[in-house]
Amino acid sequence: MAELDINDAVVTTRLDAVVNWGRKNSLWPLPFGTACCAIEFMSMAASKYDLARFGAEAMRFSPRQSDMMLILGTITNKMAPVLRTIYAQMAEPKWVVSVGVCASSGGIYRTYATLQGVDRVIPVDVYVPGCPPRPESILYGIMKLQEKIEKESMSMRKDHIARFYESLARQETIQAEQGLTGQQAIRTMLTGAAERGVGTIF
Amino acid sequence: MIIEHIDAQLPGTITDRHAFRGDQTIVVAKATFLAVVELLHREGFQLLVDITAVDWPERAEQGIGRFDVVYHWLNLANQERLRLKVTVADGETMPTLTGTFKTANWFEREVFDLFGIRFEGHPDMRRLVTWDDFPGHPLRKDFPLDGGDAFCMEGCTAPYNHGSRE
Amino acid sequence: MAHPASPFLSVLILLLVAAVTAIAILVLSGWVLPLLKPNNPQTAKLRPYECGVAPLQVGARHKYSVKFYLTAMLFILFDVEAAFLLPWAVNYRHALWTFGAMLSFMATLLVGFIYAWGKGAFEWER
Repeated sequence: MAELDINDAVVTTRLDAVVNWGRKNSLWPLPFGTACCAIEFMSMAASKYDLARFGAEAMRFSPRQSDMMLILGTITNKMAPVLRTIYAQMAEPKWVVSVGVCASSGGIYRTYATLQGVDRVIPVDVYVPGCPPRPESILYGIMKLQEKIEKESMSMRKDHIARFYESLARQETIQAEQGLTGQQAIRTMLTGAAERGVGTIF
Repeated sequence: MIIEHIDAQLPGTITDRHAFRGDQTIVVAKATFLAVVELLHREGFQLLVDITAVDWPERAEQGIGRFDVVYHWLNLANQERLRLKVTVADGETMPTLTGTFKTANWFEREVFDLFGIRFEGHPDMRRLVTWDDFPGHPLRKDFPLDGGDAFCMEGCTAPYNHGSRE
Repeated sequence: MAHPASPFLSVLILLLVAAVTAIAILVLSGWVLPLLKPNNPQTAKLRPYECGVAPLQVGARHKYSVKFYLTAMLFILFDVEAAFLLPWAVNYRHALWTFGAMLSFMATLLVGFIYAWGKGAFEWER
């Protein structure tokens, strides 16, 4: 449900190829670093593993100025609405790489405090497992994202982004109507989704 | 050393004591707690290192106070450390130490957040590490480890199973 | 060629290159880019960025004192006057008759200066 619904017959034209080439080779990351994976990201961005050769040297810590959000580290339930707001404020085209097991699935923290995977609240394109993943792994994840971008087409609908904004609107409605904090609204939505057997709130 | 001081100046306040490999712990009743703290402050134990609590649910059944509120102090002059425990029951409040020890402010908020023990006289008694309307107090033993609900989603699907339960 | 190339030929080339570049940028960003870029305006996307938390105050615009604007405006006026004064001063000895013209120019501005002074425009603390 949260998967990128690529139409089975996506024909990428020459124009798509050019545009995708430009996009994939200039992915400016938004390092959403909360924990140890951010340290591995730092070494990946440094000279030995060198992220700059992929065109991704410009770290922009603002959602307005970046196109790839790297979620580096544990995301707690308290942080979830903040993450959603920042993802919402990114300009399209945007992609999300969930680095490390904490961001991908909650990692070793199966507790009341940790969000069990960022894909419960945000659409994710690439998951990089590891605790923390080696810099080469994160680099491989970014290369996988580049391969994914190559196959995109401008005529392709990005359903997951539309659904995300709908879920954000629903979250705000719940917050306003029931007087809850963002975290409690997300919790309510997750419970509702669980009852329907779905793992995400968008 | 400090324990001897306490025994000398406030005899009978220490209800229990033990030491293990160099650290010293005393148990004090809530009624005499503030007097002991004031003595500690005078004797140079001016760094309040931590306030935390422990939940012993089986003690509640026996009628003894359920929580142990644990305080740690450091005497910067002679590097002596002291641990002090006070037993409180569920619903009982503790007096605040924010007047003498500024660090007590957030420590007591954390204890309130995670255990539900209120501190009388605290200037800003609200949750610290969980969010404002978090239901419950997580570090109590009767609070489920995984939050007990959809956060961890026992038996639910992974997001990319298209909703199927396999 | 019968006449040597004008010394301004390079300027013409520069002008043409600049014009072509500017027009190309405008055309590309105004007509070509909208066809290529994704367009998805959403309310949540357009809100001001505050590190993901709800806006802490209603507007980020503090009350801006008008005295800065006033000072800047007065500065511009009298700075332009000085700018006119300088070339006149340089060439004055060749045109002594311009003394009266410059004097009347400065007198006009002096009237404005006295008016501003009287109105308290020079008072920083009010």
